[in-house]
Amino acid sequence: MPDCDSMRENMPLLLTESLDPALRELTHQHIETCSMCVAEWSAYKETWQILDTLPELDVPARVKQRFLAEVSPAVVTPNVIPFRRRLAPRWLAQAAAVVIIAGGAFYGGHRLTPRVELTPTPAQITAIQQAAPAAPFYSIAESRVLPAASISPQIEGRPDIQNVQFTDASPSNNQIGVSFDITSHVTVTGRPTDKSMVRLLRYVLENEDKQSPSRSRAIDWVRSTYAHVGNPDPEITEALANVLRNDDNQGVRIKAADTLQSLQSTMTDGTRDALVEALKNDPNPAVRIKAVEALAKLARSGGNLDPDMVDTLRRKASQGDENVYVRVKAAEALSSIQPR
Amino acid sequence: MKTTVRTFIAVAVLASSTQLFGASFAVSSRVVREFPVDPAGSVWIDNPFGSIDVIGGDGTVISVTADRTLTAPDTMTLKEASDAVALSFEGDTKVRLIRTLLPPMRNVRWAVAVNYVVRVPRGVNVKIGGSKSAEHIRVANVNGSVTINGFSGVVMLEGVVGASVVNMVNGRIIYDYTQKPVARAQVQAVNADIDMWLPANSNFEWVANTINGDMLSTFNVKAGRFNGSVFHGAVGSGGTTISTESMMGHVAILVKGSNLNDAQSIRNNDPAHPAGPGDVLRQPAKKIQMPFVTGDFVFAASVADVVVGEVRGNARVETGAGEVELGAVFGQCNVTSLGGPLNLGDIMGSLFAHTGAGDIIVRAARMGGQVTTDGGLIRVIYAGGPMTLRSGGGDIIVRQFSAFMDAETSSGDVTLTADPGQKTIKATARTLQGNIVLNVSPRFAADIDATILTSDPDVNEMHIDFNGISVRREQVGNKTRIRATGKINGGGEHVELYAEDGDIHITAQNITPLRLANPK
Repeated sequence: MPDCDSMRENMPLLLTESLDPALRELTHQHIETCSMCVAEWSAYKETWQILDTLPELDVPARVKQRFLAEVSPAVVTPNVIPFRRRLAPRWLAQAAAVVIIAGGAFYGGHRLTPRVELTPTPAQITAIQQAAPAAPFYSIAESRVLPAASISPQIEGRPDIQNVQFTDASPSNNQIGVSFDITSHVTVTGRPTDKSMVRLLRYVLENEDKQSPSRSRAIDWVRSTYAHVGNPDPEITEALANVLRNDDNQGVRIKAADTLQSLQSTMTDGTRDALVEALKNDPNPAVRIKAVEALAKLARSGGNLDPDMVDTLRRKASQGDENVYVRVKAAEALSSIQPR
Repeated sequence: MKTTVRTFIAVAVLASSTQLFGASFAVSSRVVREFPVDPAGSVWIDNPFGSIDVIGGDGTVISVTADRTLTAPDTMTLKEASDAVALSFEGDTKVRLIRTLLPPMRNVRWAVAVNYVVRVPRGVNVKIGGSKSAEHIRVANVNGSVTINGFSGVVMLEGVVGASVVNMVNGRIIYDYTQKPVARAQVQAVNADIDMWLPANSNFEWVANTINGDMLSTFNVKAGRFNGSVFHGAVGSGGTTISTESMMGHVAILVKGSNLNDAQSIRNNDPAHPAGPGDVLRQPAKKIQMPFVTGDFVFAASVADVVVGEVRGNARVETGAGEVELGAVFGQCNVTSLGGPLNLGDIMGSLFAHTGAGDIIVRAARMGGQVTTDGGLIRVIYAGGPMTLRSGGGDIIVRQFSAFMDAETSSGDVTLTADPGQKTIKATARTLQGNIVLNVSPRFAADIDATILTSDPDVNEMHIDFNGISVRREQVGNKTRIRATGKINGGGEHVELYAEDGDIHITAQNITPLRLANPK
């Protein structure tokens, strides 16, 4: 696709924030809609980040001259970010130099030719990974204090920064502080069973601000995702149990109880107790229906029953002022229980 | 020949070893005890697993014979079981307590059954409790009061004269009076059938209740009246009350010597009975599943799961509890359930659907109608005519409405999407706890009146993708009212939205219109 070629030419400049705003927007839009260019862009960014983590070294003058002679002058743009200087063993410097040459060739090649395949060899990439320190975890936090050295000099896109404050706690130590609120859109990718993903979803389910449309959507998404996962993490069902216990929105509670029914395989004692509690006390009959259906399914599957659950089912089945459907479902659940 | 013999021996050894590995170990022991008791004293028996026979007779002594059987997959576990199970005999001459003691958390690999035969003076009061599983619990020839509380098993009472209370979950209850009832009897079960045999000249009041079963009698029951699912009637000249209630089983009172097959149902419709709420619970339980009905479909049952693929006339369905699923209805559709989800497909006539509890899904209400649930979600894919949707608590979602829409829930979110082919449509949405999302096409025209009443104005917001709306904020008590009014796209039908403690979104977006297939 010719459009892709021109867009790929823009990528290095996009990476270094050197594109004019209109072209930058156009390129971003194209990347979002083109799967091939997404992959290309990801490779660019990955390579760029790897280069950024390398220790800064002095390249011998003759290597530098030879490198510059081999590449077009156009490649040497004034906004190349200088590497930080650090002490490192000699072998590390050699390995890094090899990588810089490869990275430079890769960068230059993309600037000069419209379509060039990425050419880092596996051996070189391995060397980078061995030399580089392990990437720190990205932490989703309410507030954090970061040293300037840990912040990339590159600011990607145009994040919304508000409530900026300047601090200089101790004028004598030559340290200043800039604090601010930043709105940035984060996409976390991973398998549904990854602990980080589970924790993130749990947080969204339990603690998201009282915006129930998104909470409802989160529950729908959890159901459609984890119903197909053989053994979903119990933290997911526990989060749903907390929603069932605590959420004021009855529509959300109905969905939480319904989703727990479809995630029987990881039902914990706490989850079961939340369903029993809902069956006993929830004012919404639809929540009680979902709860009794989930408990009936648990009873049929020979799941972990306890006296309180059996007692609650028994009382519900006999409770004259309870909804008839709830009573029938409670009776059905009791009929499948084999006392042990 | 030698080979054959060797093979035979090998097979025999293998078979015997397999037997050995698959076998379980069992040990039985018997305990016999006697205790003095007052003629009007009490005997309490608490036995989780095993049968119990209590037989009244003469004298002032309780005689207890307990047969304990333990089973386990190996001798070690058997030993553990033997150490864990104990028989306890406590009390004094006024109250004798006989108990099987089990540890609260026990190894499920072993099982125990203790069968008791207890002979008591005829006048004592008997109380049996804690039974989880019993082949039978039998009380015979006792003049005192009898109380039985168990989970599953056959309960038999014979010649019990005093007041009795029986409460079971599963199994069966057989009550055989050897003389006319003189004391109150209350027999209750969840999934058990209850059969009572009484002398023909008995006089008593009968209270019967069942949801899924039937009420049967070979007596002439007089002055019968229903209150919901509960029947009150009199046999003979009335007198003491016998109450029989089973949720899922039948209840029957039978003249001694008659049998169940001769009994008449008393739940049949009485033409003289004035119609009242809950009458549907008098109908017998049914299950129905059919691909299509050529004419009108009229159906009523106390407990029913109804699945009909297509009704080529009008549909009228009334249930006490159950799931109702109608694929397509060519005429008018009227579905009422006291509880249970309703799943309705393509309704070509007007629609009335109500459930006491549960979700309602309507694929297409071409002529519109009314859909209400006392609690549950309402989801309508296509509303072709004016519709009223009400939920006592739960979300309301309408994928596309082409005529007046009135949606209200006491707690939950309301999401409505207007037909993009309509320039303007009147709509009202209201939630007392939740959010409202109204999706319309960018050229949708309306007079907007949207109100949020919130205790947290920083959290709850109004988002309107149109110009020409003015927003005002004012304090009302300890809450903030945010009101947005104005005309969009020059104005049109009135659109009124009201949300308490939630957001209101009016979003302009390109909506793909739904296309409905025409019925064949």
